[in-house]
Amino acid sequence: MTGVHQFVPALLPRDATGDHTLALRDTFRSAGWESEIYVEAAHDELIDQATYFERYPERAEPGDILLYQLGTASPVADFLLSRPEPLVLDYHNVTPASFYEGWEDHTSEKVTLARSQVAALAPLAVLGIADSAFNAAELRRLGCRTTAVLPILIGRDGWVDRVDERELSRLFADHGTATVLLFVGRISPNKAQHHLVEALWLYRRWYDPEARLHLVGPAVTASYAEAVFGFAAELGLEGAVRHGEHLTPAQLAAWYADADVFVCVSEHEGFCIPLLEAMASDLPVVAYAAGAVPETLGDAGILLDDKRPSLVASAVDRVRHDPVLADRLVAAGRGRLGQFGAAATRARFVEVLGALAAGRGVD
Amino acid sequence: MPSVAPIEPDPPVDPVGPVDTGPAARARYLDEVMAEIDAEVRRRRASGDLPAGLERELDELFLEFSPVGLHGRARLRETLALVDGSAYVDTAVPVASQKAVGSYVKRLIRKAIGWYVGFIVHQIVRFAWSVSRMFHVVVDHVEDLEAAVESQRTPELPASAVPVAGPGWSWWSGAAVDALAGVGGRVLHAECGDGTLLDALIAGGADAYGVDPTESVIEPAIDRGLDVRAESVLGHLEVVADEALSGIVLSGSIQWLHPNERDRLETLVTSRLAIDGVLVLHSATPESWTAGSSHLISDLAPGRPLHAGTWSHLLAQRGFRPTALLYGGEDRRLDQVAPSNADADAINAAIDVVNTLLLGPGEYLLVAVRER
Repeated sequence: MTGVHQFVPALLPRDATGDHTLALRDTFRSAGWESEIYVEAAHDELIDQATYFERYPERAEPGDILLYQLGTASPVADFLLSRPEPLVLDYHNVTPASFYEGWEDHTSEKVTLARSQVAALAPLAVLGIADSAFNAAELRRLGCRTTAVLPILIGRDGWVDRVDERELSRLFADHGTATVLLFVGRISPNKAQHHLVEALWLYRRWYDPEARLHLVGPAVTASYAEAVFGFAAELGLEGAVRHGEHLTPAQLAAWYADADVFVCVSEHEGFCIPLLEAMASDLPVVAYAAGAVPETLGDAGILLDDKRPSLVASAVDRVRHDPVLADRLVAAGRGRLGQFGAAATRARFVEVLGALAAGRGVD
Repeated sequence: MPSVAPIEPDPPVDPVGPVDTGPAARARYLDEVMAEIDAEVRRRRASGDLPAGLERELDELFLEFSPVGLHGRARLRETLALVDGSAYVDTAVPVASQKAVGSYVKRLIRKAIGWYVGFIVHQIVRFAWSVSRMFHVVVDHVEDLEAAVESQRTPELPASAVPVAGPGWSWWSGAAVDALAGVGGRVLHAECGDGTLLDALIAGGADAYGVDPTESVIEPAIDRGLDVRAESVLGHLEVVADEALSGIVLSGSIQWLHPNERDRLETLVTSRLAIDGVLVLHSATPESWTAGSSHLISDLAPGRPLHAGTWSHLLAQRGFRPTALLYGGEDRRLDQVAPSNADADAINAAIDVVNTLLLGPGEYLLVAVRER
């Protein structure tokens, strides 16, 4: 029996890679294959669904295919380099170190290591799966001979959870009818939240003096987060920029439901799941065209080729006060979302890995 | 290979809003919207709502909050604050857990090994604070040094004000060739310009080469096959071996070096010149400095020419024996009036005073031999 076993540095709940890995495991098992998840570490909630990667050799079977969920540095990469089984990379992108230089040197070193691991693994992989053409191109540049673009799978039903109504009421009570700009993503230099603060400052001067910016995501780069919020305070936006962290899925859904426009000025995105979450929340999107954002967004949002605060503020206002445009973007978002449907993605994963197991190669 | 289990199809997409007119029409529509957004920004700019440079100023303001944007002293202090912040080790390990019993167990473990952890942490913190204190002392010293250096910093002389070494034969060239005739070893001409003096030195039998910081000036010398390098005299002498030169000619901008650099030049010349080596120094006179040269140079140059006597004194202190002093160049002294003039004596006495104090020959050539 074919075995497609996944390796992932950390299996975490409420995490895109974690959800993707679990959903794939279930998909492979539904296809009649053996499928286990091997990890370097796992959260308490998921520890019974994972096995430490060092134990794989004693369980290895002829015909196994090893699928590595690659998005960070890990000793798992070195382990896989030593394995004889066919290796498939599922690449979720690693942020270039240059974004962290000067902000957080240890993170810069870690992503440098991660990118060196991608470079070592890519030429050895029989197949590189990427969740965007942007990521696939990066794999090919690093020597991966065959690549396929397959979207990331989300384990939950739909892209966003049921809305936490209490959270929604609490948010609304805080800002009333003021315009709310939302961005979801870790607070990190490559996400460029400081440019959103600049856009908000200008938006309040020009269009709505009560407008708010809601930033949802962990402050993983502490020095950058401090700079962003210090900068906002300096501009007199202390109460206007709100940070949401450690939200439950239902609370996150409430933040989406509460917002008027989803704004992304990130400088490096390998896929950008929040764009899909915004589409699923019927939230119009304004985004800077960087990395994989254009291909994920398609024509379901206003795509800016520049992220000057004046341009971002004007685009937000246009979306906010042009109902025809907003409706069109929301409708296009729903259509776009259909292209990332879970069923089609699961089928494509089975098709691609099945072909590999049968020795037919990948179409 | 097992057969693939059937997978339920995705639910159909239910678009809302205006009728979908196809991807091309949607793209055109979005292009039109973008053009209108661009126009709105231009309108804001034209109306004065978006002053020029405002967005750049916002970026610069953000950099003030960022370690990336900090430079020099601010960055040093920022880094020091990080060291201070990291020097504290918290022994209160978090005990939160997803499971109720987990929290209890963690609390129990923390209590049980608290004495052990505390002992270790105490030593780690003491070490960390010692390191941090050392950094504070170093930073204080660095800041004192920076302040001292900054207070003595001389503004750069505008490049456009610096004259390139004048080509051609000067009044002092023949004397320099004579002074260096028969020295035997390598002779360096600093700020050699187009190499005219080098030609004469070589013709006189010297093994001469030159340096000049202005690349364009030395091109004719290079074209003639002379050994000429585009370097400053200080930079060149730094890499020359001790006592490797038998003769040195100093001319050009060395006469207005900053006092610290002039002192360094004296040291280098002394060490690089062999015993019995000959130093030839050409300079403007202080009297001609303000009157005869560009005001930009005389006002902004980091140093000023010395009197010949002062050079003689400085060189003597370093073991040189002055052997010749020649004055030349433009002589701006006033002529005395004829004795037939009724007030000739008084006028000529006044002219003597003016000539002595304010005027006199424009340049001099000092020759000295290194004796020790």
